[in-house]
Amino acid sequence: MARADSLARLAFAYGIHQARRLRPRRSQLAPLLDTYAADGIRAIEPDVRERHPHLVGCINCGLCALAAGRFGKTRLPDLASSYMRLYARLDEASSDLAGDGASAPDLAAAASVCPVGLPLDEVAAVVRRMMTR
Amino acid sequence: MAAPSAHDVVVIGGGVTGAGVARDLALRGLSVLLLEKGDWGAGTSGSSSWMIHGGPRYLEFDWDTTRLSCIDAGHIVTIARNLVYRVVFILPVMPHDRNNIERIETGMEVYDRFQPLKHSRPHRRLTAEEARRVEPGLSPDIIGAVTNEEWGIDPHRLVFANVEDAMAHGARALNHTRVTELIRDGGKVIGVRYRGSDGATSEARARVVVNAAGPWVPEVSGMAGVTVELRPAKGIHIVYPYRISNFSIFAESVDGRDLLMVAHAGFTLLGTTDDDFYGDLDSIDVLEDEVDYLLQGFDRVFPAIRQYRPVRTTAGVRPTLFKWRRYEDELSRRYEVIDHASQGVEGFVTIAGGKLSMYRLMAEETSDAVCRKLGHEAPCTTATIPLPGNEADPEPPSELAARCGISALAAMKVQSRHGTNAAKVLGEGGTSRILCRCEPVTEAELVYAARREQVRTLADAFRRVGVAAGPCAGAACILRAAEVVGRELGWSATQKFDAAREFVRGAWLGRAPVLNHSGWAQEELAQGAMRGLMDIDGSR
Repeated sequence: MARADSLARLAFAYGIHQARRLRPRRSQLAPLLDTYAADGIRAIEPDVRERHPHLVGCINCGLCALAAGRFGKTRLPDLASSYMRLYARLDEASSDLAGDGASAPDLAAAASVCPVGLPLDEVAAVVRRMMTR
Repeated sequence: MAAPSAHDVVVIGGGVTGAGVARDLALRGLSVLLLEKGDWGAGTSGSSSWMIHGGPRYLEFDWDTTRLSCIDAGHIVTIARNLVYRVVFILPVMPHDRNNIERIETGMEVYDRFQPLKHSRPHRRLTAEEARRVEPGLSPDIIGAVTNEEWGIDPHRLVFANVEDAMAHGARALNHTRVTELIRDGGKVIGVRYRGSDGATSEARARVVVNAAGPWVPEVSGMAGVTVELRPAKGIHIVYPYRISNFSIFAESVDGRDLLMVAHAGFTLLGTTDDDFYGDLDSIDVLEDEVDYLLQGFDRVFPAIRQYRPVRTTAGVRPTLFKWRRYEDELSRRYEVIDHASQGVEGFVTIAGGKLSMYRLMAEETSDAVCRKLGHEAPCTTATIPLPGNEADPEPPSELAARCGISALAAMKVQSRHGTNAAKVLGEGGTSRILCRCEPVTEAELVYAARREQVRTLADAFRRVGVAAGPCAGAACILRAAEVVGRELGWSATQKFDAAREFVRGAWLGRAPVLNHSGWAQEELAQGAMRGLMDIDGSR
């Protein structure tokens, strides 16, 4: 009985919906974005989308921290692990990029030892870009 | 055996319903003993989709379930503010979907009427282009999309918050304590016999015994000589240790079922299956077929899904009420409070069926039945009295972080689990060391959990504070966690290694069905490290 009643009510609602469609409708994209802007979640942008699965593969093993000469300063590679958690830890991630010249982390060396082949330099570029937005 | 303890009520089952019943009855002034054979929320509750939702799907079957679910979700959102967060879904509509976009939007328009009951906002409709703009991973084939808002929640913390509050109001609560027998006097159940975590057997006398054992309800009711028939349904989830999408996403499975990819705060849950289950409730395996079934459903709307590395799976069994000649998906999530006096067994009440989103209401109705039997007149207050840590607004995470010497994210995580009690938790053990960097989890929180939250195993620690829940799946932190928990519980060095080994083995069972290329790389590394450190093969 409940099922028949539910379907009948949905059918009635469908009729009302179809009648409402006769009125012109404005885009609801802006209200949607406004509504959820306060949540503070940074979006995955279209330009990153395709590469995204490859950028979040970090398994937090820590080998890159050794190779990048960061051992002792950071126990684990905050850069990749922070990025992958989208993107609550960008501050921590960007601190891994700090330094110029010889004091800069050797991302190429770090990437070369990564057991899952994470392109750390690419992750770094995305993080840098996001920090400036 | 020690002399039996005496209580007004013994509640069997420490899932969200049993914990909710214990809290409700304790708040009404009754003396309660709550017994759980494993850990709090380790069964069906912990294997859920981590959502408090109204159930738009039930609009097809039973509007009352949707309405009641939304009302109770509203109460839960109010009393557990620190545990909940908004989860926004996109429902992409594909060619040849079971429902076209007009039907989907009709459903959401109806659902919008219920949304204010749970403090959620109405749906939005997007064109295909707009949908792909906000969610670039969606298939280019989509026709359009509709949004829908629900609430996310950590079910493990929700269960424990209920246990904690029950204890604060005089209840006694024991985990890792298995009921072995119901004590009967003629046709009346007068108590329980149980075996504690130390192996000792004890007795507790009670005026009423409540069976809130979820899918184990038939087993417990069998001890009283009555039959409660369920139609247990298995559901699995795939867990990814990061966000995959901006929004949570609906998809349709090959057999037309609704699937969800839920973007929680720092991880993604993809589920769920719904299959009749006839196996051993204490040993639920995830099959690769089930994993493929879920991935196939999402492949269609979110083509990149197979490129992501899952970290584990979860599996649970829903305690669905029995009904013949229905597909699993058509079974209602309704519940039933059964007073077995009508079957000639006095002093025994069962709560069967239901779902996480309605746990408080289920607990209220069960407690009402118990109070009627006891002639105890006290109103239910669980809809308005906040759970522990929600009595006031929490301080800004940055201030807490600065005071405790941890990052703002770590502070935020502690607040999400403990609300206004976060400062007290971080003050435990006098350390600001970060123990699990993935999450991140502080050592202080784990010390607090071991001392005050009945953590007895590392799996308990995983549920209570999220240690080893992140991308490394414990490889980087489980030994440190064993050290901390072991120190608090007085474990020997051997016991610490054994505990870590047991955790790693358990985690492996949940991970094996979803390992892909990088998953295997991680596994090799983790296993190698464990083998080197503690001889995980067991030959040490």
